[in-house]
Amino acid sequence: MSAKEVTIVVDGREVSAVEGEMLHDAARKGDVEIPVFCYEPKLGEPVGACRMCLVEIEGIPKLQTSCSTPVRDGMVVHTRTEQVKHAQNAVVEFLLVNHPLDCPVCDKGGECPLQDITMGWGPGKSRVIDEKRHFQKPIELSPLVAIDRERCILCYRCVRFSQEVSEDSQLQLLDRGDRTFVGTFDDRPYVAPFHGNITDICPVGALTSYTYRFRARPWDIEQAGSVCTLCPSQCNVSFTVRDEKVKRVITRDNHDVDDGWLCDRGRYGFEMFEAEERIAGPRLKGGAEVEWDEAIAAAAAGLRAAGGEVAAIVGDASNEEGYLVGRLLREGLGSNDVDSRQSRGFSRAAVVRLAQPDLTIKVREIDDADVILVAGTDPLHSSPILDLRVRKAIRRNGARLVVATERPTALDGGAEAIARYAPGGATHFLSELAAAVGGAENVASPLAESLRGAEKVVVIWGERIAREGDGAATALLDLADACGVAGAEGAGLLEVPDVTNARGLREAGCLPDAGPGLGAELAGGRSTEQIRAGLISGEIKSLLLFGADPLRDFPDTPAWEEALTAADHIVCFSMHENATTAKADVVFPLETHAEKDGTVTHPDGRLQRVRPSASRPGIVQSNIVILSLLAETLDLSTGIDSQPTAFAALTEAVPFYSSITEEKIGGQGIRWQETEAASTIPTPDGGALSSEPTTSATGEGLALGTYRDLWAGPITELNPPLQFLTPQQRLEISPADAARLDLKQGDVVRVGQNGSSVEAHVLIKERMSEGTVFLAEGVQGGNANALLNGGPVWVEIQKLSGVDA
Amino acid sequence: MSDGDGNGFDPKSASYLDSIEVIEVQRGPNPGGVGGAYRAFGETLRGLKTTMARLIEGPLTIEYPEEKTPVYPRFRGRHKLHKFEDSGLEKCVGCSLCAAACPADCIRVVAAENIPGDRVSAGERYAAVYEINLSRCIFCGYCEIACPFDAITMGHDYEMADYDRGDLIFTKEMLLAEPIERTPLKSEGE
Repeated sequence: MSAKEVTIVVDGREVSAVEGEMLHDAARKGDVEIPVFCYEPKLGEPVGACRMCLVEIEGIPKLQTSCSTPVRDGMVVHTRTEQVKHAQNAVVEFLLVNHPLDCPVCDKGGECPLQDITMGWGPGKSRVIDEKRHFQKPIELSPLVAIDRERCILCYRCVRFSQEVSEDSQLQLLDRGDRTFVGTFDDRPYVAPFHGNITDICPVGALTSYTYRFRARPWDIEQAGSVCTLCPSQCNVSFTVRDEKVKRVITRDNHDVDDGWLCDRGRYGFEMFEAEERIAGPRLKGGAEVEWDEAIAAAAAGLRAAGGEVAAIVGDASNEEGYLVGRLLREGLGSNDVDSRQSRGFSRAAVVRLAQPDLTIKVREIDDADVILVAGTDPLHSSPILDLRVRKAIRRNGARLVVATERPTALDGGAEAIARYAPGGATHFLSELAAAVGGAENVASPLAESLRGAEKVVVIWGERIAREGDGAATALLDLADACGVAGAEGAGLLEVPDVTNARGLREAGCLPDAGPGLGAELAGGRSTEQIRAGLISGEIKSLLLFGADPLRDFPDTPAWEEALTAADHIVCFSMHENATTAKADVVFPLETHAEKDGTVTHPDGRLQRVRPSASRPGIVQSNIVILSLLAETLDLSTGIDSQPTAFAALTEAVPFYSSITEEKIGGQGIRWQETEAASTIPTPDGGALSSEPTTSATGEGLALGTYRDLWAGPITELNPPLQFLTPQQRLEISPADAARLDLKQGDVVRVGQNGSSVEAHVLIKERMSEGTVFLAEGVQGGNANALLNGGPVWVEIQKLSGVDA
Repeated sequence: MSDGDGNGFDPKSASYLDSIEVIEVQRGPNPGGVGGAYRAFGETLRGLKTTMARLIEGPLTIEYPEEKTPVYPRFRGRHKLHKFEDSGLEKCVGCSLCAAACPADCIRVVAAENIPGDRVSAGERYAAVYEINLSRCIFCGYCEIACPFDAITMGHDYEMADYDRGDLIFTKEMLLAEPIERTPLKSEGE
């Protein structure tokens, strides 16, 4: 279905273009640059608002905007005639009528399209002698973005972003004529999870980030491309580095991953690299800072003393680090107890089935999907950039959306059909849905209606459903089968995991029942939950934690507290001090994603490279080097001493990574499914997955569901600019339940279960289903993880204090 | 070198030596004798004439460091930062254009935002750090040309020798301060 090729002539050059392409883009292929302000393909349809891109087209008497004129075969275009020049000069002059010439003070100076275009296409002289328009400036548009309305040239880009990309519709053009300005209703702060992008797309210095304001000039800095590892989206970013420190994070367009956008978490979450809590060197229990060799010796002695009764849990790690930890445990210490999941997960058999190349979709293919099913996850919280991707598919390409989750999601507004199942009921619901698509009549029928018969079905599912065991995988695979996903062009599944590099770690061998490459089934390995039980019962004596914080992120905090207290020896690799490092005997510092060199694997199988951009604090060393030294001390010869050797060992150990090289990864990454070695992925063994019956137990009280809030966790606590976003623990409850329990919005309640309790403020939500309440995980002061115990939970709610009516 | 392949050229061959034309070199008369002594005396007198002529002009030596060499008004010496005379605010807004123009990369500017009530400069931003590494500076004056606010100018100071390279990094306070001793300027017509 390739589009027709046409030939046009731009300034005497023949340029071949695709029919329907905009003239501006086609001209660029012929190396003819046409200046633009408002045109930005990422924002969708062109608007032709700024009039900067006027060109002369033969046969059309008046000048045309090249950004919104599609090419036609045989079009003859002139961009440098007197008439065009006159128009360009006039447009620049008009823009500068009200634009203050305060470039030396303006933060955009040096990287400002208006400066460049004025130099390149402007008249060079101003005739304006009148007073320019004045606004109060700079003022807070949000706690993170400053707006200077005098500098605004009303190109409409930020407003279009707010209305058509992030769809929060908070930014508006207010007033009319020459008094028009960009603002929000009632001057309320513009707070939205993606609003930092407007500072990137603003072509003048009207929108600037408070975190970067006046920090550096373009000639003071270096841009270092890397990958953000703060969530599974793995957006491509570029670090602005001055004096070896990260000063700003901006997007690095990769249409296959992030579409050129970046969430505020990735954009503003860099000050924690230098937070006070950052661990700048190894230390022993009690805070005694030691040299590396002493710390490594202490860690090795503790791990060895356990005599094989050792376990490891890997969290935030690159593929190489995960691979090395796996080898350290299996070969160096003779234990198979390695896991990379926060809770219960799928068995190897299920993981292998779901990893099959014909089932996985490319992120880019979401754009062209017919129907998108979001199951068991809220992309906004778990993988924010997917939220924009789904919105784009719906808005621009007419995709239909169906949502099946426990909790209301941010995408509900655009959904054709929505289903809410009880917490822990994903397996049941998905198998019902699979049956309904196949023709059965049941609770899932309204959703099945949309899915049935659709060609390109994309299922975005959350790793959370794996907490229900392999039954969920069976249901998911049945559903994929019913929708005819396998092998179909543009159809497939996409996982939204709990941790950033979940897929990479699984494939690098951080699973209790599979080694690197998901090879043969390994026996005797303990999963995260079993490790916890083993620690409590004393079967496991020593624990290695690599970038994992069980006391904050893992369900059942009291049990983890008990497990970590029971452990004889804990070696913890962590970026910042937290409750878990306080319990560790040896603490090693971790590198941040601005310091690390390593590869990570996107949930769609794309290997991307995290590159070192900034200097490490204190005596922090490369994690790979430390792990290899630790291995050496444990008499394990790995042949790994640096990132290149680690990558070589990884690609050798994982068959389907074997044809990937660092050159092939390059700046945009490569999906292993698209390399020649993809066929070496293990094929599923014939047998059915062990599916335990889903718990149908019922309890007293309200069913508790939990979710991980986008802003919960160290991200808001360690980044001063983001602190205002720190979430409060809120009990989300349906109006009916609230009325029954006599609760009002804002009441303080104690939510208790089996001895543990959490305090929360009541938040009444219309779209909540009756009988279910939700609490956030990972928030400071009242982490909902404390109430979870691996199965369905019912809670008692006790009112502590009410708001005055 | 090829030996005798027909086209070879051999500088030792008899035919080649015969073909050379010998040229006699012409030399001056031998020194010494009466003529030589006369010439030497004459030249000495000519030199002494210049010496005597300068002698009556008096000494031109400038007794540095007690006395300083006067410089031209446009002499490019150590930089100075300026303040507005009326408000006392710094003229520099920390735009970093001087750092961009500097070919020796010796200027470092870190800007910050002015707090209302405690303004440092007249603009929205000011230079929180302004450093010139004078051991690197080539005194080209590009910073002065680049400055949109005439905040930095090349002064007349040229005495910058020091015992420590670190001391040659001049901070904003040092650049804003008046030099202890003014360098004399050349007078009109000098």
